[in-house]
This record gives sequence, C-alpha cells and structure tokens, in this order.
Amino acid sequence: MFEKIKVSKYLAYLFLIIVSAIWTIPVLFGVVTSFRSQTEVVNEGFRLLPVNWIVENYVNILENTSTAPIMQWLWNSIFIATMHTLLVVVVISITGYGYSRMKFKGRDLLFFTLLGISFFPNVVNLIPSYKIIDILGWVNTPWAMIVPGLAGMGNIFLVRQFMKGIPMELDESARVDGASDFKIFSRIILPLIRPVLIVCGLFSFTGSWNDFLWPVIVYTDVNKMPVTAGLLLLQDVYGNYRMIGQLMGSAILAIIPTLLLFFFAQKYFVSAINLNSGIKG
Amino acid sequence: MKEHGKFAPLFFVGPHIILFIVFILIPSIYGIYASFTNWNLIGSPEWVGLDNYKTILADTDSTFYSQFFNGMLNTLIFVGLSVPLMIIIPLMIAVALEHKEVKFTSLFQTLIYIPGLVSISAAALIWSLIFNKQLGVVNNMFGSEHVWAATQPYAWITIIVITVWAGIGGNMIIYRAGINGVSKDLYESAEIDGAGPIRKFWNVTLPSIKFPLIYTMVMTTAGAFNVFAQPLMMTDGGPRQSTTVLMMYIRDLAFSHGESIAGVASAMAVMLGLVLLVISAIQYYIMNKNATT
Repeated sequence: MFEKIKVSKYLAYLFLIIVSAIWTIPVLFGVVTSFRSQTEVVNEGFRLLPVNWIVENYVNILENTSTAPIMQWLWNSIFIATMHTLLVVVVISITGYGYSRMKFKGRDLLFFTLLGISFFPNVVNLIPSYKIIDILGWVNTPWAMIVPGLAGMGNIFLVRQFMKGIPMELDESARVDGASDFKIFSRIILPLIRPVLIVCGLFSFTGSWNDFLWPVIVYTDVNKMPVTAGLLLLQDVYGNYRMIGQLMGSAILAIIPTLLLFFFAQKYFVSAINLNSGIKG
Repeated sequence: MKEHGKFAPLFFVGPHIILFIVFILIPSIYGIYASFTNWNLIGSPEWVGLDNYKTILADTDSTFYSQFFNGMLNTLIFVGLSVPLMIIIPLMIAVALEHKEVKFTSLFQTLIYIPGLVSISAAALIWSLIFNKQLGVVNNMFGSEHVWAATQPYAWITIIVITVWAGIGGNMIIYRAGINGVSKDLYESAEIDGAGPIRKFWNVTLPSIKFPLIYTMVMTTAGAFNVFAQPLMMTDGGPRQSTTVLMMYIRDLAFSHGESIAGVASAMAVMLGLVLLVISAIQYYIMNKNATT
C-alpha cells in the first residue's frame, strides 16, 4: 500500500518534469538564440548557452522601422487589446445586468435566441465581416479589431450566470429606497461582479493580442498591423534564416507583454471561471 | 417603490443588440447568401443558385473541387491527430498534478500553462527554427536528415507539436478543477475495495469528470476545425498542399491579391460551417443544461 503510493508519486514527478521541460525549453531556446550572433548559430549549431552574449540583434530589430517596425506593431497591439478589453468590460457588465436583473417582456427568450445565433459558426460570417469593416472604412485601422468582438455572447453569458448568484433582495431593498437601475448597477452590482469582469477582461486581452486569422485579413498596411500579423512577414524580412537572432528576438518581444500580464494576474488566469464557457465572440 | 422606466432595459441591452446585428447577424446571413452568388467582394453579388456548391462538391475537373476536398481532408486529418492529444495529455498532467503527494504543483502548472499565452505566430517562429534542417535542435539532437516542414509525415508532426504545445493549458485547468471536485470518499471506498491507481482512475476519476470531458472535447474539436495559423506558419500548406487546410483555401480565394472569388469561398465556408454547426449544437445543449441548473 505504502509502496504503491511512492511508485506512483515518482512516476507523477518524472512525467511532470519531462512535460515541464518540453514546454519550457522552446521559449528559453528562443531567448538564448536571440542573444547569439548569426555566425555563431550557423557554425556552432544548437547550444544551451551562447558562447558570446550579444545585443546587436535587438539593436537591429529596433532600428528596422521600415520593413519590420516591431515597436510600432507592439504599440498597435497594446492599443487594440487595451481598448478592446475596456469596451468588453463595459458592454458585458451593462448587458449582463439587463439580462439578469431587469424584468422586461421576452427577456430570456431574447437572450437565448441571441445565444443560439451566436453559436452559428464564425467561419460563415468571416467574408461579409470584412466587407462590413470595409464599408465602415475600418480596414487598416485599430477599430477593425476592437469593435467586432464586442458583439460576442460568451462573456455576457458568464456575467449573467455570475449575477444570478447575487441575491435579488439587494436590488429590491435598494429600489424600495428609491434607487434607479443605474444606481443599483453602479453601486451594488458592479462592485460585486468584479471577479468575473477581471477574468473576462484578461481573456479578452490575451485573445485579442493573440488573434491571428482576422488581423491577417484586415491589415495590409505594415505600420497599422498588430504584432501577431506582423510576425507572419518576418520570415521573409529576415531572409529565411539569414538573420536568426532578429527573428527570435522579435518573437520574444511579442511574447513579453502577455507574459507580464500573466505573472501579475496569474490566479485569475487559472481560476477556471472563464473556462466554463470558453466560447469567444 | 420605483419600477424601472419603460426604456431602461433598452438602454442596458440595446447597445449590444446593435453590435450583435451588425457584426454577427448580418454577416452570418450575408455569408449564406453570398455562397449562392458570384461575388468579387467589391461589386454586388450576382445570384447563381447552387452553382458554387455544384462546383465544389461535384465538378471533378474544377480546381475548386480539388481544393475543397483536399482542404476538408487535411482539416479532418488535423482534427483527428490533434484532438485526442489535446484531451489525453492535459488529462494526464492534471492527474499527475492532483496526485496527493506531489508538490510544486503551481510551478509545474505555470510552466505548462505559459506557452498557451504565446501568440501562435511567435511560437511558430521559434518552433520552425527548432525543426530547421541545418540549424535546428531536432536534427542536431536526433541526427535526423529531414527537412521537416517539406516532408511527410514530418510536416504534420511539426504542426501537431506546436498545436499541442500551445493549446493544452486551458483543458489542463478544467480537468484539475474537475478532479479536485471529486469526493475523497469515492476514492477511499474504492481503496477499501482494493482498487489500484489505474482502476481508481477508470472507475472513479473518469466518470466523475464526465461533464468537463465532454465539454472540452466539443470545444477542442470545434477549435480544431478552424485551424489556420499553424499550417500557414509552419509548412505554408506544403509539401504539395498536403497540409493546406480548408481555412487557408477560403482565405486565399476571398482575400488573395488577384480577383476575389468570394462566392466560392463562401460556399466552402458554409460547408465547413455545417460541420461546425453540429458541434455547436452539442455545445449549446451542454451550456443550456448548465445555465438552467
């Protein structure tokens, strides 16, 4: 009995160490390679640590503001993801309040109809969505990525679920005291739903930051695109592995913001609260 | 007691409804309509009835036909290869992390979760170098002589590796939460019956996390059908279009530099959408059940 637990414990450790190594090493490899010179990479091949640590790759990356303006891309991504996140939080809290705390005719029917329609596969609306963005004049502007995702139902569903756990008596007693809906929303409900808003906000931020298909379609202007779409161009810009350090350095720079966010807000990322829904608008 | 005014609900749910109509409802309907038309994205679509569907489904001479079937086949291959791994590997990790004597669980979890935050294009740059013939880690370490992205089955392997690497974090956390919620009494009574760790896993753990399992299977499958970035960045659809998935054809036909063939692309999108619709129906059923209880 005792022996059995020990064996399984060591097996679990062995498995976790191997998996963690496989999951960590590629990122470290990218970091290390970004500090190696091209000649060293070509001549010495794969090494765990550079022979000489150099920062030229990063200097070159930052100086290339024409074909691969990575700082511009990062700024575009930061602006897009931040604006998108703020607006998501506003929209889902207001809308969630409407669908869970207000009484109006056909409320639940409306909610579940919209939810049902939102399950309609995104791939079908991809091409017309581009046309709509084009008509709005949003191609190659941040709005192309900031606004459409606000229409999603997934986060509203989550907020609504969360609000259901808040006793209705709170609203009713405030209403007896003469509070308006706006007051109930901002003074009572909003502070209470903070956890779910933070989680939805974080996933909106990383989702927007890492979105790939949509930005590849709506951005053709090198200076206007977010970093994920920009990186697609890099294998050509840095000549099919003739500038490996720059390639890796750019990839690493693109990772840093979301990693920072993760380290500051780790407990929310792994709280599984968002994952009960998971669907992204 | 003050009831809310007649228009107050409109203020709260109205703005989102407008967004919903403009960015989900209209494009979805228009996407179906466009599949019955000849459309170049610029002019107005010209109705052609079922022609696009006939072309992609039955006109064996047409490139669109071979593109559609090749793309669908490759998408199915991707789903078939990636989904089981994206379920089994995080499940194994979750079981190991929930082992009662294992420590440092949050460290392990963090290390495994982080790649999920790496954007797929950054991940692809790094992994492409790892799989690179002359300079990469894989050939250096294992002495393999293959140009991985240009030889099958290695091209698929690179795509699946990066997909699993970047895609298991969420499922891992769902499974951990599920396993954590299983009553300890169940394990104890299984132990009294003489069950070993493997029997406990099959007889106690798996049945207890049935709901999260089904849920993640549905979500992962739906996500896998939309695959686009990994083959685009890792293999560019090669060798000889053997990893070109349907989303890549759809994007090329609708948005490549020549004249847009959005009608045919829409028909392909609708066909892919039909597959996803079945999966979505299951998802909706599960969520609905969750919402009412």
